[in-house]
Amino acid sequence: MQPDTQPNTEATLSVRGLKKVYQADGGDVEAVRNLTFDLRAGELACLVGPSGSGKTTLLKCISGLMAPTEGEVLLDGKRVTGPPKKMAVVFQEYGRSLFPWMRVRDNVELPLKNQGVPKCERDRLVDDALESVGLSHVPRSYPWQLSGGMQQRVAIARAIAYQPEVLLMDEPFAAVDAQTRADLEDLIRVVWKKLGVTVLFVTHDIDESVYLGERVIILSSSPTVIQEDIQIDLPADRDQLNTRSLPRFTELRHHVYEQIQLAKKGHRPAAASSGEETRLKGQHAG
Amino acid sequence: MRTARNIGYILGLPVLLVLVWWLSTLGSVNFFVPKPADLVETFGEVWFGDRFFSDVLPSLGRLVVGVAVAILIGVVGGVLIGSVRWLRALLEPTLEFFRAIPPPVLVPVLMLLMGITDSMKVMVIISGCVWPVLLNTIEGVRAVDPVLSDSAHTYGISGWARVRYLVLPSASPQIMAGVRQSLSLGLILMVISEMFASSSGLGFTIVQFQRSFAIPEMWSGIVVLGLLGVAMSFIFQWAERNILRWYHGQKEVENAA
Repeated sequence: MQPDTQPNTEATLSVRGLKKVYQADGGDVEAVRNLTFDLRAGELACLVGPSGSGKTTLLKCISGLMAPTEGEVLLDGKRVTGPPKKMAVVFQEYGRSLFPWMRVRDNVELPLKNQGVPKCERDRLVDDALESVGLSHVPRSYPWQLSGGMQQRVAIARAIAYQPEVLLMDEPFAAVDAQTRADLEDLIRVVWKKLGVTVLFVTHDIDESVYLGERVIILSSSPTVIQEDIQIDLPADRDQLNTRSLPRFTELRHHVYEQIQLAKKGHRPAAASSGEETRLKGQHAG
Repeated sequence: MRTARNIGYILGLPVLLVLVWWLSTLGSVNFFVPKPADLVETFGEVWFGDRFFSDVLPSLGRLVVGVAVAILIGVVGGVLIGSVRWLRALLEPTLEFFRAIPPPVLVPVLMLLMGITDSMKVMVIISGCVWPVLLNTIEGVRAVDPVLSDSAHTYGISGWARVRYLVLPSASPQIMAGVRQSLSLGLILMVISEMFASSSGLGFTIVQFQRSFAIPEMWSGIVVLGLLGVAMSFIFQWAERNILRWYHGQKEVENAA
C-alpha cells in the first residue's frame, strides 16, 4: 500500500493527513497529528486507542461537526465540510442524544421527516429499524422510560432508519453494563451484515474492538498517529462464547493490547508521519 | 375518595381563614373591616352586573393581550439572542438597564407618549412581563445540551427545524418558569396601569371605592383580584403539566435512580 495522501478511489470513507490543533489559552494543543486511512464500502473497522488519544476529536472531524486544522475527510470522493447526508453518528451518551420530549418512534422518525421522506415510506423505515433493534414493542414510550441499553438501541434504530452509507459510533457501549454490551455488540454485527453499511466503531475496549471488527486501527497516544492497522481474520459468524475462546482471538487481543501498552509508553511507529499500514499476518496462527 | 381528599386539601385553609375572620368580626362595628356575610352580599351586588362587562372584562382583556404579547416577544427575542452570539454581546448590557427600570414609573411616561388609552395600559403590562420570559428563554436556549445539538446537527436538523424540534422544547422548562413569573407580574401591572388615570377597569374601580369610602365594595374588588390570581395559577399549572410532561417524567426517573 502506498503511503501517499492521494484519495483512494475505491474507498467510501477516506481520511487524508488529518491534523487537529486546538487553540487554548495556555498554548496550542495538538490532539491529532497526522492520520491517514481508508474504509472500503461495507467494511466494519474499529478504532482503538489509549484514553486521550483524540478518538472523539477524530470522529468529530470525520462527521463534519468540526473542521480539521489540516488534511481532509472524503466521503465517496467528496470533501466533508459539514455533517454529510450519507452519514449517521451514534454517540456514547445515549441519555443526551435522544430527544426526551419525543416518544421513541418520533425520535427515530424525526431525521426522515426533516428530510421530507413521504409518510408511508417513513413508517416502513421506522418500523423496520425498530424491528431490527428489537424495540417494536415500545414505540409509544419516552426514551427516559427505558433502560440505558434500550435507549442506545433507539439511537441505533434512528441511525439505521436514516439509511446511511457510513455509520460512525463513538464508544457507544461505554456506558452500559457488560451483559447489555455483549447483546449490543452482536446487534451491531447483525445490522452491519444485513445492511451492508460501512461502520467505523470507536472504542477504548480492546476485546470489543477485536470481537467486532473486520479490521482494527490502533491509534498512538496524543499527538495521534496510526500505531498499527490490522486485519482481524476471525470467522465472519461470531458469537460471544465461541469466538472469544478461539486461540486466534486471544492472540489478536494480546497483540492489540501490547500495541496499546506501547502507545501509552509513548512508543511511536517508525513511519509515524506517513500513516503507513502494516498488517499482522497470521504468523502465530496454528 | 381520593378526589374528595384533594378537594379537602384545597379548601381546608380557605374555610379555616373565613371562619377565623367570621369569629373575629363577631360583634365588631369597625367600619373598615366588613363581616363575611356582608362582603359576600356586596360581592354579588357589585360584580355580577354591568360592572362585569364595563370593568372586569376590559381589565382581563388587557391582561391577556399584554401577557400574550410579552410571552411572544420574550420567546422570539430570547431564541434569537440566545442563539446568536454577537447579538447577545451587543444587547445584554442594554437589556440589564431596561430590565432594572420598574414598570410602574413608565406609566406617566407612556401616558404622555401614548395618551390614556388601552394600548398604553397594555404597554405597561408588556414592559414588565417581557423580562422574565426573555431572560429565562435566553438562558434556556444557551443551555441546550451540546450532545443533543450535535445529534441534531449530524441528522441535518438545522434552521427552523432546529428551533422547533430542539431549541424550543429544550428551553421550555425555563420558558415556563419565566411565564409563571410574568403572570403574577401581569396582574400587578394591570391594576397599577389603571390606578393613575383611567375610567374603567378593576384597578380604577377599587381606587374609586376606596376614595368614596365604599369599604365593603373596595374589599370585594380585592377579593376579585385574588380569585383572578388563583384562576390564572390553575390554568398555568394545567398548561405546564401538559407541555412539560416529559420534563417532570424525566426528573422523576432521575430522582428515583
